[in-house]
Amino acid sequence: MIRAALSVAGKDFRLIFMRSTGFAQAFLFGLLLVFVLSLSRDPGAQFEAQNAAAIFWLISLFCQTVCCGMLFAVEEQNHAGRGLLLTSVPVQSLWLGKMIAGFCFLLGIQLAIVPALVIFLNMQTGPLWGVAVVETLLCDLGLALCGSLLGALSQGHGSKDMLFSAVLFPFMLPILLAGIRAVACGFGQIDFDTQWLGLTFAFDAVFAAAGLILFPFVFSGE
Amino acid sequence: MSVFVSLLAGILLASAHAVAVLYAPDDALIGAVQKIVYIHIPCSWWSLFSFFLVCACSIGWLITKRKQWDILAAAAAEIGLLFNTGSLLTGMLWGRYSWGVWWTWDPRLTTALVLWFLYAGYLLFRQTDISDSRRANLSAVLGILFCLDVPLVFFSARIWRSIHPAVFAAEQGGMEPEMLHTVIICLCASGLYWAVLLFGRYRFAVLKDRVNRLEQLACEEESDND
Repeated sequence: MIRAALSVAGKDFRLIFMRSTGFAQAFLFGLLLVFVLSLSRDPGAQFEAQNAAAIFWLISLFCQTVCCGMLFAVEEQNHAGRGLLLTSVPVQSLWLGKMIAGFCFLLGIQLAIVPALVIFLNMQTGPLWGVAVVETLLCDLGLALCGSLLGALSQGHGSKDMLFSAVLFPFMLPILLAGIRAVACGFGQIDFDTQWLGLTFAFDAVFAAAGLILFPFVFSGE
Repeated sequence: MSVFVSLLAGILLASAHAVAVLYAPDDALIGAVQKIVYIHIPCSWWSLFSFFLVCACSIGWLITKRKQWDILAAAAAEIGLLFNTGSLLTGMLWGRYSWGVWWTWDPRLTTALVLWFLYAGYLLFRQTDISDSRRANLSAVLGILFCLDVPLVFFSARIWRSIHPAVFAAEQGGMEPEMLHTVIICLCASGLYWAVLLFGRYRFAVLKDRVNRLEQLACEEESDND
């Protein structure tokens, strides 16, 4: 199952990075948002770390929306999803593969956006940046787990973009709150409550289990 | 029978609110405005219960594939959203008089609003133009995912600082006994009213489904005759 998932992830990764402009679009959108925000502050004024963290996660969520749409559109366009379902691999490996691809995509965007936050919003790393990185990775995992499940769910009908945005944004609130706290802590302006680590871990565990059980009902080729 | 139960629910609800006005004392700080709580708490509790019912029915559909589970899930989501809207509106009125603002990003308010968004999205999704069985499958998955999300949203809200008053607190805060009795009476009366609305909506949806199927059969017969 893991090998099949890695094959799916590798295939999606190559398709997204080699053939589509999705990554560049998402990165440019993020960069533009940070740049416009940096213009809104008075010259010399310090931007609050919590606001910068909120922008960081807004960009991450937008990128996740774009990424999940792309990941499943690849199969939808030429009905390759049915082909994948006909193979002998468990259907959950598709979900896992999409999740791995989504996670890498999201991490790539975040790595590209952090320098923009440092440069344009004058953010500096604090002493707890290691904890912030761990928490951010856990949050990314949660986003990728749910993104691949909800991405599959929103395919195949006209209102998929509306549905995905309307559902994903409020659904991810626990992850977003934890992520905002973590990034703000990473920039050294607030303390970090370790309960957020537990909550994010619980979120990831619950939706990993839910994804494994529920994905076959979502991606059934119907 | 259903008319009798509906009437009973209406009378009980009116009586419960009469108890709230005549029996329950005014709050020492904000006066009679506090009585909003006798609408707000039942709305919150029954909306939350509705959303757990959506999850239970969704599991029922995925296991048995019986149409009734899907219809009941949709009915519960509609009634839950209605009660959740009531909870949010009465909460805002409370907030205006108690905290001086219509809205504050208190975690529990945020949780209620998140639930409102999720179930509004769920009901919108049920309107999408896909096959009935696929819609039922996907709605069931959404119903289960949202239910799993609720405790996590709640716990994230608890970690975030809250200014929401404690209603059934064990050690500090909480209510006077008369107020507590009134809340329990209002909860029970609203529960019956909720059940009447739910089963009314369920019956309506079952009949609508039957009419749709008959229409479909009639169309098929007509095309066969042609």
